[in-house]
Amino acid sequence: MNTPEQWKRNPEDITGTDPLGLGQLEQIEPEFDGWDDIEHALNAHKEQKRKWRRNSGWMAVAASLVLVVSFNLNRAPSSTNFPGAATPDTNSASVAVEDNAMEENINALIGLSQNMEEQVKSLREETGSMPAESAIYVAELEDLIAQVDNELSLNPDSVTLWGHRVNLLLDLAQIYQQQWEIDYGRMASL
Amino acid sequence: MTIDEITLAGAKRGDMRACENIYRRFHTPAFSVAVRICKCRELAQDVTQEAFINAFKRINQFRGDSPFWGWLKRVVVNHAISALRKLPRHDAVELEEHMSYSEGDQDRMGYSMDLEQALEQLSHEDRSVVWLHDVEGYKHREIALLFGKTESFSKTRLNRARAKLRILITENNQITALNALA
Repeated sequence: MNTPEQWKRNPEDITGTDPLGLGQLEQIEPEFDGWDDIEHALNAHKEQKRKWRRNSGWMAVAASLVLVVSFNLNRAPSSTNFPGAATPDTNSASVAVEDNAMEENINALIGLSQNMEEQVKSLREETGSMPAESAIYVAELEDLIAQVDNELSLNPDSVTLWGHRVNLLLDLAQIYQQQWEIDYGRMASL
Repeated sequence: MTIDEITLAGAKRGDMRACENIYRRFHTPAFSVAVRICKCRELAQDVTQEAFINAFKRINQFRGDSPFWGWLKRVVVNHAISALRKLPRHDAVELEEHMSYSEGDQDRMGYSMDLEQALEQLSHEDRSVVWLHDVEGYKHREIALLFGKTESFSKTRLNRARAKLRILITENNQITALNALA
């Protein structure tokens, strides 16, 4: 501790960075142990990151699968798209392959559609209130999904309709995901 | 104050035991810095908690080319200053308020006043500036950035804070001397 004389020195005479000896003061002991709260907060943060990665991963998988299916549909020789293209020799074989591919595509899209629906449901539960514009967009997308469902009830094997459904669900999931990231960003900054 | 590479690597991987080791090692100095700046123990407690959570979330940003405590201390100081800036202006206790205490109060305070107590009499800004500059080694430019003000603000506050501390401690010594004579 500094002597009283040191306090009375003229400030101009003092050139040191700690003229009052503040650095010699003892540390102040905390009367609390906050580790449990910190651990809880860090675990919650990890869980949020895990969910975010999972949701982002699902959307990436869904988007790429829709792309692959669309690509396959465009590439596959179709008697309806190209009426005179197939020769009589290959026609029956190509139709069989096409049917298998079509069934695989439909099954993949149906599975994807169900998974996306689960993701949207989960995101919806975790997301707080959203701006009016986003809410309107969500309502429009849900209307469109309902219309597609209506058409699918009449034509359940339509790859195009299932593709539409997955795309609409992807759009919906992206809105929820963005809102979730905003909410999470707010929480993280607290 | 250092931490070993294994503990740091563990914390960067998200190992809770490593994080707890770091917390146990730096809790007291971190809290101490927070109290010096915030003055209020409760606020310092919140600041310390937030600072540790934030530090552990961002620990991958620590490159290891400077002492860990220096990095952590900056996180604590940033949180403390941020907390102070959110406080209403009237929470800052100015020297003038202390000077207007009754004579009895002054006598009572004079008995036990030392540098620690003198420091407590300063306003949030004065105390933060003098502590950051004189003890933590912050430059005026860095203090100015923290407070969102100019360098001259930091210089003025530093001079004012030192002058106030000298007055408070001299007063204390005079009162102690008078009491000894009586």
